[in-house]
Amino acid sequence: MVREKSINQETPMVRLENLSKTFHVDEGDVRVLDSINLDIKKNEFLVLFGAGQCGKTTLLKMIAGLESSKSGSISIEGKPLKGFDPKVGMVYQTTALFPWLTVMGNVEFGPKVRGVSKAERRKKAQYYIDLVGLNGFENHFPSMLSGGMCQRVGIARAYCNDPQIILMDEPFGHLDAQTRYMMEEEVEKIWAKEKRTVIFVTNNIEEALYLADRIIILSECPASIQKEYTIDLQRPRNMVSSEFLRLREEISTLVELREGV
Amino acid sequence: MTMPKLSMTKDSRETLLYGILGIIAFLFVWQLACMYTNFGKIFPTPLVSIRAFFLAFVQPIGRYTLLSHIAISLRRVLVGYALSSVAGVIIGLLMGYSKMAYAIIYPIFCIIRPIPGIAWIPLAILWIGIGESTIYFIIFMGGFSQMVMNTMDGAQNLDTELVGVAKVLGAQENQIFSKIVLPSTIPYIFTGLQTSLSTSWMAVLAAEMITAREGAGWLILAGMQTGRIENNVIGMISIGAVGLVLASLLRNLERRLCRWSVRSR
Repeated sequence: MVREKSINQETPMVRLENLSKTFHVDEGDVRVLDSINLDIKKNEFLVLFGAGQCGKTTLLKMIAGLESSKSGSISIEGKPLKGFDPKVGMVYQTTALFPWLTVMGNVEFGPKVRGVSKAERRKKAQYYIDLVGLNGFENHFPSMLSGGMCQRVGIARAYCNDPQIILMDEPFGHLDAQTRYMMEEEVEKIWAKEKRTVIFVTNNIEEALYLADRIIILSECPASIQKEYTIDLQRPRNMVSSEFLRLREEISTLVELREGV
Repeated sequence: MTMPKLSMTKDSRETLLYGILGIIAFLFVWQLACMYTNFGKIFPTPLVSIRAFFLAFVQPIGRYTLLSHIAISLRRVLVGYALSSVAGVIIGLLMGYSKMAYAIIYPIFCIIRPIPGIAWIPLAILWIGIGESTIYFIIFMGGFSQMVMNTMDGAQNLDTELVGVAKVLGAQENQIFSKIVLPSTIPYIFTGLQTSLSTSWMAVLAAEMITAREGAGWLILAGMQTGRIENNVIGMISIGAVGLVLASLLRNLERRLCRWSVRSR
């Protein structure tokens, strides 16, 4: 295939080879990931889509360095991943902001622990705070912000650390539908402006279709790659265009079929 | 509204009014009790007590005036309290953060913890003798376990997800401690500081009753022993007032340092 060839020509940003993961619990072993093989291109917006509770978050955590990968390998720009890679940033489902730090404190945390000078990191943090639309909230604590605003802080915090790869773990799962829709638009705008490789986990089909360059459909426990869709629709996507609806129908049928089994 | 804002709302004015009424009623019952019951034979009336209270600011009781007695007790408390707080926080963090430290210290600590600070008085006197150090030691033992317990609780309740977040952002192990463990423990440390302060204040009084010849604790005991009950009343009023001031100072500090935590808002 032509597409296969073009991927092989450049080193993928992230390469997952035969990646598996089993958790050992008292009741026995639970296999959550089953031989995942996946290449992710530079600046690609990749969505991992799966309805189940299994494996997706673990996969992101492994790329972030939060979970070990004993079976299979992860490499970033051709180099095997060891521990925490500064090229990787993450946005969490629970927002996971530091409650004792202000918006500014949260956003500048990465550069600060890496020893970037105060003037420089403040400037940068301010840029990303403005980018996510939180200008004026720099000195607010997370407990004073709404869920959507907290997640904006989470996004700015990830970006401010200059990662090449941003992992987003169901970042809008806890938001109401209206806010969620706004945040999806926001994420796309930010990504268009500040291109990064994004790996985005969701169980919402519309969200996946709205954001993705490519959607990887994962099967339920253990998660393995079931199908892959390259989405060539023009951005920003029209959620009621016939093509969008057709893909939505197709993917939901696929997922429902599987759940029916 | 164009009306200038009153500094008090209707509700808070009413609360204040009821508070004052409560105090007046209390003094009235005290006065009645002194006039019509046996209570009056040993106990001074409110007026006598209040007069004695203000006189005590200029006339020495024993060797010192009232303010000096309070200052002496206060100094003792602050020294013992500071020592127990620092030691308690360090040991508490250690126990909460390191499983090995916990395994080593916790069994001994479990035996020491239920022993009230004042139970150490006889041992302390035998060991250190009568003097300031003994009093510091008793106060130290009074507040120490509460500091350890609360700090340890905080460090154990650490949100491990936040530790992961910090590591992904590039924090090193020593930074995890100063930037994640410590700040997330601060609200717990303040709970410890509050309870430990009141037990320290109790401990100083007990220690002074037994081993000192000055201070608020000595004052209330001397009042009883010399039959000058008004001195006892004065001592008790000052103890209450100082305890109240200390606790509210600490609460203000907490509000400042823990603006982020929902509890202190």
